[in-house]
Amino acid sequence: MKILIAISSKEYSGSTLSAGMKVAQAFKASTTIVDVGEKVSEFSTKVVELAQERMESWDFDGPGIDVLEWAFSYLAEKEFIERTDIEAGFPKNMLFKTNGSRSEVYLKGTICDDVNLILRNGETIAELRDEVQTGFYDVTIIGGSGKRRMAHDLVQYIDSSIFVVNQYNSNQNYRLLLAVDDSPGTGRAVKYGIRIAQAFNIGVDLLTVSKNDHFGDGYKAAAERAAKFMRRSGIEAKNVFKIGDPSEIIVKMAGDNHIIVMGSSSRNPIKKFFQGSKPLTVMENCKCPILIVK
Amino acid sequence: MLGFSDRSLAHFLFWVTQKKWFLITMAFGAFLLFLPIPEGLSKEGYRTIIIVITALMLILTEPIPLPAIAMYILISEVYFGIGSANAIAKSFMNDAVFFIMGSLMLAVAIVKQGWDNRIALGIIKLTGNKTGNIVFGFTAISALLASFLGEHTVAAIMLPIGMTLIHYTSENKQKVQNLSAVILFAIAYGCLVGSIGTPSGGGRNVIMIDYFRDSNISISYLDWMLRVYPLVIIQIPIVSWLLLKTFKPEFSHLDTGIRKLVVRVAKSAEMTGRNTVAVFIFLMVFAGWVVLSESVGLGTIALTGVLLYLVAGFVRWEDLNRNTHWGVILLFGSTISLGSNIKATGAAMWLASSIVDFVGPIINSMPFVADGIVTIMTAILANVLSSSATVAVLGPITMNLGSDNLHMGLVTAIASAFGYFTAVAAPACTIVYSSGMVKAKDFLKVGWKMGIISILLLVIYANTYWLLFE
Repeated sequence: MKILIAISSKEYSGSTLSAGMKVAQAFKASTTIVDVGEKVSEFSTKVVELAQERMESWDFDGPGIDVLEWAFSYLAEKEFIERTDIEAGFPKNMLFKTNGSRSEVYLKGTICDDVNLILRNGETIAELRDEVQTGFYDVTIIGGSGKRRMAHDLVQYIDSSIFVVNQYNSNQNYRLLLAVDDSPGTGRAVKYGIRIAQAFNIGVDLLTVSKNDHFGDGYKAAAERAAKFMRRSGIEAKNVFKIGDPSEIIVKMAGDNHIIVMGSSSRNPIKKFFQGSKPLTVMENCKCPILIVK
Repeated sequence: MLGFSDRSLAHFLFWVTQKKWFLITMAFGAFLLFLPIPEGLSKEGYRTIIIVITALMLILTEPIPLPAIAMYILISEVYFGIGSANAIAKSFMNDAVFFIMGSLMLAVAIVKQGWDNRIALGIIKLTGNKTGNIVFGFTAISALLASFLGEHTVAAIMLPIGMTLIHYTSENKQKVQNLSAVILFAIAYGCLVGSIGTPSGGGRNVIMIDYFRDSNISISYLDWMLRVYPLVIIQIPIVSWLLLKTFKPEFSHLDTGIRKLVVRVAKSAEMTGRNTVAVFIFLMVFAGWVVLSESVGLGTIALTGVLLYLVAGFVRWEDLNRNTHWGVILLFGSTISLGSNIKATGAAMWLASSIVDFVGPIINSMPFVADGIVTIMTAILANVLSSSATVAVLGPITMNLGSDNLHMGLVTAIASAFGYFTAVAAPACTIVYSSGMVKAKDFLKVGWKMGIISILLLVIYANTYWLLFE
């Protein structure tokens, strides 16, 4: 299992890191933290690199290194990672360019084996997509602050599952809201839901929504199967059946005190592009963290 | 769907979203191609204008890499019958492209010499520890050096000096936000106002000189300086004053910062034999520009300088190769080719006369209006595109907007340096922005003021001081 956590700044990435690392620990996943810096106009890339070389000779760090350094210290302070050599501190001299816009801090075997740190520069979606494709990540975790469009595009175009740490408050008592129906995505969503519920040590609401007052056999069977999995995993869970528009009901029930987990839509991508999908609608309107499982 | 998996459809959709501006541009170009050709314009002229419009849209939105835009321009010129393959290839390379190539490489060679320590010491000696004087010093030195070396070279050299002074004044970035803005903008804007001073201040100046030469107008290095340098001198105190007024630095004196900076640079600022030779090579290049540029071209002399630095072993080819953006050179070559074809196909004349028809009566009664139009048009384009590309494309058109081609050409070249408005408008702005010590909104805060002042100043200057040369 490989997890990618995308951060953007020191000010807004604390909750993304905390929630992301909890999920990573639940899956015992290899974790990579990536900061995608602003794209430099192509006219100026080389002269900016030249200026940065001069800055380095005057002991100034290039842009983005401070964000990685902050992330590293934050994780060490919260004991998400164990530094084998704390004295040495953050090894900024170990930042090496791996290709055009991507650099990596080499930590493995020397400073810390729990986490990888990556710096990228460019257009956020394209860079994250490239990172996920080349690194074969299973889950990408991003913050939710004012970047709904970005989350929307990531869900559309990235192959991994997406966890949007939207308005996450570590003092809040969350429950997990697992959307259950007869779609192929539900099975995977249940498996992920179990791990997340265990990581956060919370109960689960298994929500099944029908557009009319008749719940088909497929829906009932899926709800029962999900409940059985939860019981076997020792997780407190209750089935909830509601009638109405699924996206609206999921958002309403989730409020600000649930972590939503749902499978990705099985619609074809062209239809999704023009008409949207349930997970996208929920993600755009919810006021809590949401994991869309692919 | 049609045998394509969901995954490949998602990939295709992603490609469409990434390349949407390319697709829109091509569709728009095709639409223009089917419109009737305007009266008085040749088929080739109309097609050149379509390539100009589509190329500008691509440069502005960057959906494909810059060298790809260069290729698009060149092959379109051939496919649309604007010139034969050989004619287009010839128009692609001239002395201005040599100069852009040479100046980008000279920048690497000069920046690698580590003159920043000496410059830092020089500024401190000149200005003392008063913030106002220091800001003036940074602006003046940046402007004076940029007028000969080019804005990107000087910005790269000056940035670490400015950052070190700020860092030594206070390590807490919050406490020196305004001071950071004042000093770093002094560098960026100083470089920009300086870059107009001599032909070697920027590739755009050399592109304009090439257009002058094509129109049988001769302007020497010193002639250019005589006409334009006073504007540099006038703008230096204005930049300093405006920055101090806009950002109001937190400290009136920078004793601690200056003291620490002196200690930092004193050891490494001693002149070595190598430094002397490196300076001497540059002085020879400068002398060559002044004395020989009309006969052998500015580009040839810049390349001679690069050759001397390589022969002396002061810079390695690997460094030059790594730090020179060949894609940018390709693009400038292709925009220059496009510029010369706008002229050759008669499109430049047609566009200029269309504008004159539109505003002719006003221009005739108030000649400065033409300057105003050209200045504003060029400044806007230079802010959203690149200054050199702007001059390459606009130059042949704007030159013909008034009766005096030299006057209008110089106004265009100068206005293309007004890239104050955004962090990406000019390389000098992008360089200081890359420090992370100024915010994107700071450019808007001060950029519009600087823009208006510079535009007004240029129009007044061109219609008063330049009368002496008539």
